[in-house]
Amino acid sequence: MKGLERIRKAEFLQERETVLTSWPTGKEVDLREAITYQKKIPESKRFSLAMEEAKKTRTLLTQPRAGVALPEEHIRLLKYLETEGEADLLPTTIDAYTRQNRYTEAQEGIEKSLAAGKSLLNGFPAVNHGVKVCRQVTEAVARPVQVRHGTPDARLLAEITLAGGFTSFEGGGISYNIPYAKKVPLEQSLKYWKYVDALVGYYEEEGVRINREPFGPLTGTLVPPCISHVVGILEGLFALAQGVKSITLGYGQGGNLIQDVAAVRTLRQLAEEYFTSEGFTDYHLTIVFHQWMGGFPEDEAKAFAVIGWGTVAAVFSGAEKVIVKSPHEAFGIPTKEANAEGLRATRQLIHMLTDQSMPESAELARESELIREEVKAILDRVWNLGEGNWETGTIRAFQSGVLDVPFAPSLFNLGKILPARDNDGYIRILQPGNVPLGKKILDYHRERLEERAKVEGRPVNFQMVTDDIYAISKGHLVGRPRSNLGPKFRAHREVKERSV
Amino acid sequence: MSSSGNTSKGKIVLGVIGYDCHSVGNKILEVFFNEKGFQVINLGVMVSQDEFIDAAIETAADAILVSSLYGHGLIDCQGFRDRCVERGIEDIILYVGGNLVVGKTPFSEVEEKFKRMGFDRVFPPDVDLEEVARLLEQDIHARRNGKH
Repeated sequence: MKGLERIRKAEFLQERETVLTSWPTGKEVDLREAITYQKKIPESKRFSLAMEEAKKTRTLLTQPRAGVALPEEHIRLLKYLETEGEADLLPTTIDAYTRQNRYTEAQEGIEKSLAAGKSLLNGFPAVNHGVKVCRQVTEAVARPVQVRHGTPDARLLAEITLAGGFTSFEGGGISYNIPYAKKVPLEQSLKYWKYVDALVGYYEEEGVRINREPFGPLTGTLVPPCISHVVGILEGLFALAQGVKSITLGYGQGGNLIQDVAAVRTLRQLAEEYFTSEGFTDYHLTIVFHQWMGGFPEDEAKAFAVIGWGTVAAVFSGAEKVIVKSPHEAFGIPTKEANAEGLRATRQLIHMLTDQSMPESAELARESELIREEVKAILDRVWNLGEGNWETGTIRAFQSGVLDVPFAPSLFNLGKILPARDNDGYIRILQPGNVPLGKKILDYHRERLEERAKVEGRPVNFQMVTDDIYAISKGHLVGRPRSNLGPKFRAHREVKERSV
Repeated sequence: MSSSGNTSKGKIVLGVIGYDCHSVGNKILEVFFNEKGFQVINLGVMVSQDEFIDAAIETAADAILVSSLYGHGLIDCQGFRDRCVERGIEDIILYVGGNLVVGKTPFSEVEEKFKRMGFDRVFPPDVDLEEVARLLEQDIHARRNGKH
């Protein structure tokens, strides 16, 4: 249990004073009053209950991303997604200035948006708007609402939004730092998120359950399942340690159906195993699947196909929730109409797949076993590096590159790992950097990549990685070289199909 | 001919402006422009106007290439050219590219806005990088010839 000690209450309450005075709206938070307020929120709007019900009934819930600068416009947007988009769960996506605690810039964004008559911010600046306005937002809709962001220091944001009636809070000390910041030391963000989890733990003790959701997809760019699983499991442990009881771990679609289904299944199993072996039993675990997080095609028809494929994987993986993309993804923030279209397309597929399931197969079993072995290898090393302390181990693992997130902006991420797709579109590891996967596993990854290289008539190299990153936006899954791929590639497929 | 004394096609400062942490494209641009023979000073993500300009002054760069993916480009890029003028690099080549505004907007509108702000060239997210490299080489050549 080392590295998983609960923050001391006196220490926590003292830290609160500093947090709440860091911006004027912090003064609006009265924890006692906030708990009373949260207790009056109807059950139908409590996020944790919706997730529990989804697990019980094996239902896949839909949730969009959405947030604009001004309250009235934001409420209109959420209501539209609720009615026209048929969303089961609602978001409030926070703007990028607030995510970096730049409340002065956020204020400027609000004012410029007012002047322009449209949102110039990429999300809802909840801290600037304060508790009362957050309550107007959460009260205006019938569905549970979650705060979605990307904030290394989300302490004030959590205080204001939980007091503001939100019943779920996304993020974590690793997943909202490494892919979302440049200069924030990991030690620091882990400490900030310990506070957020402790705040949720505090609400829990007072009888108010808040759902917590570590951010699974990380950089959303060819992240091997083992990397995001390790981060999710660690953040799950850190949250449980502070008294969080409702936890949703995430995974971002890779694109190969077998790998995606194997990933979600193993994430659930492994999380249960690690949580229980650390002595946590009294918690509720669910899984969220993110539709493709990388670059999208500009053509809306093609974008719908990507959305559909993500939905297929989400349903077959058995996740409880799917985060839905829109046909405007290639252009950035969608209109409310485009956002609702993504939701409805997803809804249609979910219904059509309800009675179907994916058959067990040797390939599915092989991929599941591979992910399990990889996760265990990395977590064993984290544990050793921390000399039995998960938090220290996490910090040391990032320092040494034992934990390494591909393409992350953080200076505290080694950035030596390089992924690429194999010939069947599975995400494999091209260069492991210092991630300790062992010879047998790495040889397998290499073999699969060499197989692709042979088919494409080029060496395994960085060009492959670049081609893969842009492949889906250009209409493919695997980034084939531009010249000379046709006949050779097809011949290979035929041989392969015959041999199965 | 160039009088800058280096054999590269030119020195460029690269970065993602404001509080934007989209790092993937930035890493790819670095590799690409290096391979094309430019000397790249990559500042990574979350770069302020002054950090771009500091780096350009320190390295006597020919061009600054600004990326923005998260939609706040309009706010973050405001006054960039004026700031360059203030800091004494009024003739530096300024490029900007990415998802520059919130929401789907016709590119011609976006281009006009940023050109009015003093950017020499404006690119959509799906631009062909080969084309950018070609234009950049041409612009750097013209700038050096005009200057000397």
